[in-house]
This record gives sequence, structure tokens and C-alpha cells, in this order.
Amino acid sequence: MTPMMVVESWIEGPLRQFVSDAGAELALLLHPSGQVLAQHGFARAVDVMSACALAAGIQASAGELGKQLDGKPFSGMHHVGRNRQIFLAEAASPRGAYIFLTVFGPESSLGLVRLYFNELVAGLAAAAPADTPQTAPALAEHFERDLNRNLAVLFGRA
Amino acid sequence: MATPFAAMLDSLTKQRGVTAALVVSERDGIIVDSNLQIGQPGEKVAALAAFLYRKARLSARAAGMGAVSFMQLEAPAGRICAVGGGSLVLVVVAETSVNVGMVRMELLRAVEGLVAADGAREEGG
Repeated sequence: MTPMMVVESWIEGPLRQFVSDAGAELALLLHPSGQVLAQHGFARAVDVMSACALAAGIQASAGELGKQLDGKPFSGMHHVGRNRQIFLAEAASPRGAYIFLTVFGPESSLGLVRLYFNELVAGLAAAAPADTPQTAPALAEHFERDLNRNLAVLFGRA
Repeated sequence: MATPFAAMLDSLTKQRGVTAALVVSERDGIIVDSNLQIGQPGEKVAALAAFLYRKARLSARAAGMGAVSFMQLEAPAGRICAVGGGSLVLVVVAETSVNVGMVRMELLRAVEGLVAADGAREEGG
């Protein structure tokens, strides 16, 4: 089994619990800018980078679409594939809003994923260090450096 | 507007000791229709009961025991009973004191309607 990798240790417990309870195959927690914070199930850094970029783009598009249609951003998205399903949603935490992406197969279900996603958000809120400031948005000039640093931490090349 | 499941849900929740009845998608664990009391965690029950029912159905099939007709979960504070029909599961949440025989009979009676409503729902897209 591919190990779980986290940039900040407080994320590991709640995310590990989610993966175990929901039976998720892949899980990814990222900053809205697309910088990875934690991942489970990915084997290659390039896959994490691609998934983060796509997830951030989809979440931004869905948020804007929701504002246009409903006056407020859509908070989540679910897509059913032939064998696997994707659930993408905003995960609020005391350190700011993150994006959560998970992929699950027929062993799990959307209901279970939504149920345990709510517990994940509660777990992140409880586990977040109290003395750390809210995560600031990434600046363009630091984006690539921070992205590469996080990927290096996750895949052991720091 | 009444849904195709309203009558079966009403007949189940009329049983003494039944606190909730839900029609749930077996694959997704999402509520299709329900009779719930205020404050009951319907979404949690739906997700977990559908998951349990699916596992029970697959286990029975793998063991060569045929189709699951009725599933009952007993816990200190209550019972969950479920039957499947088509792609749907009919779930009842009840107190421990409930007459399980009556609930089982009502659930098995409802299966035919569940399958018919599921078929009509699928045809309607």
C-alpha cells in the first residue's frame, strides 16, 4: 500500500482516519493555489502535481459557476466514472480553506465519502495547531518554489 | 407531491417503535426518500446501512447462500432492519422494543413496490 505523505504532521491523523473509514483509494489535500499539503495513494510526484493543478482549477471554476448561478460558490463536486468516482470539495480548517480530492471505487460509496469527509473536516479543525496563523495565499513569485518544496517533502527528496 | 415511496414509508413509520424509514440507493448510500424525525442523522444512517446491506448481500452470494431477503442489526439502543429491491434498500430504524416480526413482514411486503418504483424511476431517467 502506498504510504500517506503529509507536509504538515497535524494533517496525518484525520486524513489517515478518512482513508481507512471511507475506503478511499486516493486522497489529496491541497491549498486553493494548487500546492499539495498531503496525499495518499499516489506513487509519483508528477501525478500529485497534475492532480493538484486540475483540482484547484476545477474548484475555482465550480466556485465561479456557483456564484453565477446561485449567488454562492458550489462547495463540492462528484463525478462518477466507469469504475471509480471522484469527490472534490472545500475543506474548511482553522488555517484557511483547503481543497480535498478523493477517488474511490465500488468498495465505498458517495454516502460514506460524504459522511467521513464531514468527520475529516471536524478532525482537521480539532488537530490544527492553535498558535499558527491562517495560511496565506501563495504569492506568484514563490509558487513554484513552495510547490517543489512540498513535493520534495512528500516524496523524500527534500 | 407524494413520491412513489411515500405510502410504503408511511406504513412503516406507523408501526409502534419505528423511528425512521428510508429508501436509499444501495450503490451510493444516498437517501432517495425518507420519513425522519427532526434531528435524526438520516444521511449517516443511509450511508452506513446501505454499505452494510451491500456487504451482506455480496457475502451471502459469495457463500452460495443466495439473495439476502432481510437484514437486521441489533444494538443496545435500537435496531436497524433493511430489505433490498432493485438498486434500492428500504431501511427502518427502530427502538429495541419494536415488534421485529411485524416490521419484517411490512418490509418484505414493501419489496415488490420498491422494485416497481425503482424500475419506473430508472425508466424515467
